[in-house]
Amino acid sequence: MDIAERTEGAAVVVSLNGRLDGVTAPNLEATIAGIVERGDVRVALDCAEMGYVSSAGLRVLLVSARKCQQGGGKLTVAALQPDCRSVMEMSGFLAIIECHDTSEAAIAALA
Amino acid sequence: MLTFYEEIMVLLLHDENGTFLPVSEHTLNRALTGAVLMDLAFANRIDTDPEQLVIIDTTPTGDSLLDRTLARIAGEKGTADSRAWIETLSAEEASASHDATIRATALEKLVERGVLKRQEEKFLWVFRSRRYPTIDGKVEQEAKKRISDVLFSDEIPDPRDVALICLVDSCNILRTIYSKREIDRVEPRIEQLRKMDLIGREMAGAIADIERAIAIAAAHTF
Repeated sequence: MDIAERTEGAAVVVSLNGRLDGVTAPNLEATIAGIVERGDVRVALDCAEMGYVSSAGLRVLLVSARKCQQGGGKLTVAALQPDCRSVMEMSGFLAIIECHDTSEAAIAALA
Repeated sequence: MLTFYEEIMVLLLHDENGTFLPVSEHTLNRALTGAVLMDLAFANRIDTDPEQLVIIDTTPTGDSLLDRTLARIAGEKGTADSRAWIETLSAEEASASHDATIRATALEKLVERGVLKRQEEKFLWVFRSRRYPTIDGKVEQEAKKRISDVLFSDEIPDPRDVALICLVDSCNILRTIYSKREIDRVEPRIEQLRKMDLIGREMAGAIADIERAIAIAAAHTF
């Protein structure tokens, strides 16, 4: 999985490209932990190019969203592909983590 | 840190007398199997999605029970989902010799860790019964506090606490911790958490299926 990071105003946008599974999830966890540690607690995950999410991926999304919340911020998710949205919906994650159709909307929700 | 399979055994014990809360064999076997799979998932050895359970790392964890299960899954040709593995492994748990069961292993480990003590008693001078009173109740209290902190708040939960609540809920332990009024109050939160761990979700489904099948069989018998 390729993970790219950019700053948009007060938000950090993390773009994910590939599969978020047990092999790649630790990389995302470390990336978000690093972002939160430096004080950036408003994070939007752009998932437009994320084609798969497993239970390990879901756990890292939860840990990351929790870290942002504990720091006084928020983590939002954008542009989920249908299969990933379906897994997140089935597991109740969409009730816990805000999900938006576009990264612009996910960033706006962090303001 | 305790494994899930140890933690659920602690919560299944009455601390005052060291006997177990009543949970059917079918439920307990599936819950303990689910706990072992959760331990392997949290140790980054297996991963799951709604269609399959896959091995991602065969490196031993150092826990003999987890490593035995990891080797068992790794040795199987073909793929299966979490539900199928829960059914397979719980059937093996049901037919295992006592000392090789997950529950016996968990109790031995908890005694070794100093969480429980073993107490042998003779009943009618002949039949032996074994109890496992907790030594100071600290582990149990900490687990219950973690559960309460998640149930009675709207904060984003830690995945370990989500998995523990799935296990506790599947064994119907919550009713022994909280009043009916408290459970009614947090039922929407429990409902939300039940779905969040994919292994926990499949374990709960497997338990619901077997309980339903037993109820139907019983209804036809009487």
